[in-house]
Amino acid sequence: MVKIFLLVLLLSSLNAGVYETNCLACHKKLPVSIDKYFYRYLLKYSSERAVKKAMLEYLQHPSQESSVMGEAFLSRFGVKQKSHLSNASLKKALNVYWNTYKVFGKLK
Amino acid sequence: MLVSKSLDTDLARSEKQTLYRIATLYLLLGIIIILGFSVMYYNAQKELMLQEQKSTLQQETKELLLRLKRLHVNFDKTQIYPRSKVYESAIFDSDKKQIFATTPTQLQLDKILYLQDGMISLVSIPESYYLGAKYVIVKIKDDGLWYSKTKQELLIFNFLALSVMFVIGYVLLRLFLKPMRDAMHLLDRFIKDTTHELNTPVSTIVTNIEMIERKKLDAQTLKKIKRIDVGAKTISNIYQDLTYLTLGNKIVTHDRLLDVGQLLHERVDYFTSLAEAKKVSLDLEIVTDGTLFIDSAKLSKLVDNLISNAIKYNKMHGYVHVILQKNEIVVADGGIGIAKENIKKMQERYARFTHVSGGFGLGLSIVASIAQEYALEISIDSKESEWTKVSVKW
Repeated sequence: MVKIFLLVLLLSSLNAGVYETNCLACHKKLPVSIDKYFYRYLLKYSSERAVKKAMLEYLQHPSQESSVMGEAFLSRFGVKQKSHLSNASLKKALNVYWNTYKVFGKLK
Repeated sequence: MLVSKSLDTDLARSEKQTLYRIATLYLLLGIIIILGFSVMYYNAQKELMLQEQKSTLQQETKELLLRLKRLHVNFDKTQIYPRSKVYESAIFDSDKKQIFATTPTQLQLDKILYLQDGMISLVSIPESYYLGAKYVIVKIKDDGLWYSKTKQELLIFNFLALSVMFVIGYVLLRLFLKPMRDAMHLLDRFIKDTTHELNTPVSTIVTNIEMIERKKLDAQTLKKIKRIDVGAKTISNIYQDLTYLTLGNKIVTHDRLLDVGQLLHERVDYFTSLAEAKKVSLDLEIVTDGTLFIDSAKLSKLVDNLISNAIKYNKMHGYVHVILQKNEIVVADGGIGIAKENIKKMQERYARFTHVSGGFGLGLSIVASIAQEYALEISIDSKESEWTKVSVKW
């Protein structure tokens, strides 16, 4: 039982690692906090499945058309560069991102 | 020609059954139509009420969306879902997964406006999915006023519709019955007229035959007189039957304690010549003598009809046994019998199931009528082509 718990903890920390190293580290340098992007996606795509799918597509093939950000933001910061992370790593990072900012279970 | 003013027209059981069936079918059909109309009216009223509430619900939805928008923008500061005293609400994502609900709610996408569990619900899809909410449900309580009003209207309408239907049905039924009643009326009138015209000649013939001194007659004349006697008695019986039927309710009854054995002797004697003419043996067996408090003319009519039928529907060289036992008269014959399915219909007026002998089919109807008047129990048993047994118990 303890072994399983430790394994889950290890996997979580590994996932959190991908997110923190490859996402959070860069976004911290930007004036727009990372949660604002999340709520933009939520506003447009609604469900967990649709949000994650749209984010993954954007990370792999970023473009002005597929961006959820406004024109002013894009003209100031431009379109993000394509991610070189693997599909699996991106999904792990997105899982952490979703769990951090999701609405489910938080409303009172 | 005199015609009695009283109309003794009666509808036979099978005709009544047919009429009852038609009436039931008519009512059933009417009720189905009324019910169908009621359901349609109820649905229309419900739809009308929903449409009336729709604008209120749309207004509440607009207000909720504004509050959801504010919450979406400030979600990092507050997570308190917007509530209202006026309405309940729920939000679902695009995969129909519930994000939050103020009361237990099930998402139905087949209708956008519906009534469920006393709540009127409106499902909206906003342009932007605040907090990920693609489907926003706003519910207000149904005060039920429209339901009470509709129920009351339907009750009044159904009552009026049924009353109108009943009146129309009654008029139609009378129209349908008219030809049948006319035919029976005509038959009754004919019988009454015939009866009246037969009275004097029949009485004259029977009385004069009885007055003839038979000992003075030669064998050939005696034979002829006996034939006239049989014929006269047959006519007399028919005459009495018709009189009983047409004037039955006007005959004055003289009930008294009657010696049934003695009456049976008289009636068997009376029918002996008729039985001889048909070559049928007629005998009387008194097992236990008995008395009965009854009108003698009516008991005679009852017995006469049973014996007359037994002779009439017999075979050549057949037999008729009249038996008197404890509280029971039995008339058994070895005649043509009657089919089981016809036994029940035998006591209906004008019911006839054979043409081997003449008659109007009135005999057993009279027997049944007298039996009913004196609470006598009639039972008929028969085997077709072999025998018939009629029993009268008291």
